[in-house]
Amino acid sequence: MSERIAETVVETRWRWRLRRPRRMRRSLLLLPPLTIMLMFFVFGIFADIIAPGDPGDTNVLNKLARPAFDGGTSESLLGTDHIGRDIWTRIVHGARVSLIVVAIVVPGAALFGSTIGVIAGWRSGKLGQLLMRYVDVQLALPAVIFAVLLGAALGASIWNVVLILLFWTWAGYARLVRAEVLSLKEREFVIASLAAGGSGFWIMRKQLLPNVFNTIIVIMTLQVPVVIVAEASLSFLGVGAPVEQATWGRMITEARNYLTQAWWVMWMPGLALMLVALSGNLVGDWLRDLLDPRLRNLG
Amino acid sequence: MQFLSLLLIRLIQTIFVIWVVVSIVFVVARIFGNPEAALLPPFDTTAADYERVRERLGIDKPLYTQYGIFLKDAVQGDLGYSFIRAGSAIDIVADKILPTIKLTAAGLVVAIGMGIPLGILAALTRGSPYDWLARLIAVFGQATPSFWLGLMLIFFLAVRVDWFPTAGSDGFRALVLPAVSLGLLSAAGFMRLTRSGMIDVMSTDFIRTARAKGLNERTVIVRHALRHAMIPVATILGLELGTLIAGSVIIEVVFSWPGLGRLMIESILKDDFPTVQAGVAVIAFSIAMGNLLVDISYRFIDPRIQAAEL
Repeated sequence: MSERIAETVVETRWRWRLRRPRRMRRSLLLLPPLTIMLMFFVFGIFADIIAPGDPGDTNVLNKLARPAFDGGTSESLLGTDHIGRDIWTRIVHGARVSLIVVAIVVPGAALFGSTIGVIAGWRSGKLGQLLMRYVDVQLALPAVIFAVLLGAALGASIWNVVLILLFWTWAGYARLVRAEVLSLKEREFVIASLAAGGSGFWIMRKQLLPNVFNTIIVIMTLQVPVVIVAEASLSFLGVGAPVEQATWGRMITEARNYLTQAWWVMWMPGLALMLVALSGNLVGDWLRDLLDPRLRNLG
Repeated sequence: MQFLSLLLIRLIQTIFVIWVVVSIVFVVARIFGNPEAALLPPFDTTAADYERVRERLGIDKPLYTQYGIFLKDAVQGDLGYSFIRAGSAIDIVADKILPTIKLTAAGLVVAIGMGIPLGILAALTRGSPYDWLARLIAVFGQATPSFWLGLMLIFFLAVRVDWFPTAGSDGFRALVLPAVSLGLLSAAGFMRLTRSGMIDVMSTDFIRTARAKGLNERTVIVRHALRHAMIPVATILGLELGTLIAGSVIIEVVFSWPGLGRLMIESILKDDFPTVQAGVAVIAFSIAMGNLLVDISYRFIDPRIQAAEL
């Protein structure tokens, strides 16, 4: 018996040593994406300080100006668009729109979806079945088309985008959390609390929710880039934020006609979008491996 | 027999889902949309003109009456006439189905044709430059918004060098860029899944047995390992099909592809309720059918799965 314990200890130590350098390297690789995500948040929060100009200010005399590093003046760092608006200012303020949407949609959908998921898992009888059938229906809805339908119906505003994306994303949480709860509730500690007279609400709050918390955090992180891209896609399709609002998606749409004359008009917002989505994905993957490696096959 | 009855249950479920989806669209569209405004000039129009148009379109009655009429006609296969185009909604939608199927199928070919071989290669050369390259492609594929990718492909391969047309759907060359833009996201998913599946299966006992009995490496990989690694890939196929159909909407807008997605967006923005309803029904149906086909094929890949789990 003691021999086996000793063996385990030796094995653990050996593994620990072997793993150490790999972890170091991975965290080093994570530095750029973490920095970009941090910049995204800082830009979004302090948009007015970082780029004090008005993102809607036009200057027809200075349209399609080159970026500073490509023969332009330092006045417009990343150039100007087809009606002379400063691209740098617009990108920074566009980050704010994305950030507002992410900051409401991701926690909101997580809260609502997880609550429904826990309830549907715990009361897996009629109520659970009913809730899950609804989730199935919603996941069968063609998401983009329905989002455009709602967007056209509700009108152009950030709050409507938030609403649409909340509606779009909560069902995923519900489904995964329910699956977790279904297996959790067969575990001894839950059955024990039930036998000891714990109320359903108490068990859901004190035992089920803490145990699915990691799963929820992981999905939330992975949802950040998804929501950013979805918001940009809605703007691109013309049902996102109102015209006067600077968003990355709208910048890309408007730049389509100037693709051949001025590469920077489309490249700048596109690169911003891609870098943030890429970084969000990398950070999310890392967090998932750290917190909940079972979710690896989630995609 | 058991299989057939389960098939029947799934079909009934599908019809139920389509009914709910179309009903949601019916109600949302009618609460918020006002198609008469789009059909009449904004000046010199009296309230009576609006009323006349509403009557012609059949949207002057209360919502539940409209819904009753809609259901009665829908059961008989009549989804009404388009508000803005000539012809019945079903005909208009049917016209656009083929291009969308073409695009989605091409996207699926790109996704599978790129994802699975790259995944196998990455797994077999784990840690090598090939592996790194494949994983890099997957990470980029997963993070790049499809409309941005499409516009970039147009910029480089259709404008800078004239290899492919910038828009339209004539011929094979026009299909390449939309298919790649559409398929890359799913290709990344397939690649990651194939890679992790292959890595897992290559260290199992039955692969060692297969090698020990002297099979050549090719047979071991294709006949034994790959077949096993394909089980999770087949599961995700249904989900990816949904992703592709949804993604095709945006790709169709980017490439001016004359398909269902673009028709839907146009019809929504112009409040053409019947066309939207018919289109949504078709899309929901195809997503459900895709999932059903995947579930059935699943049984052939992995015979351990029983009909009861279908």
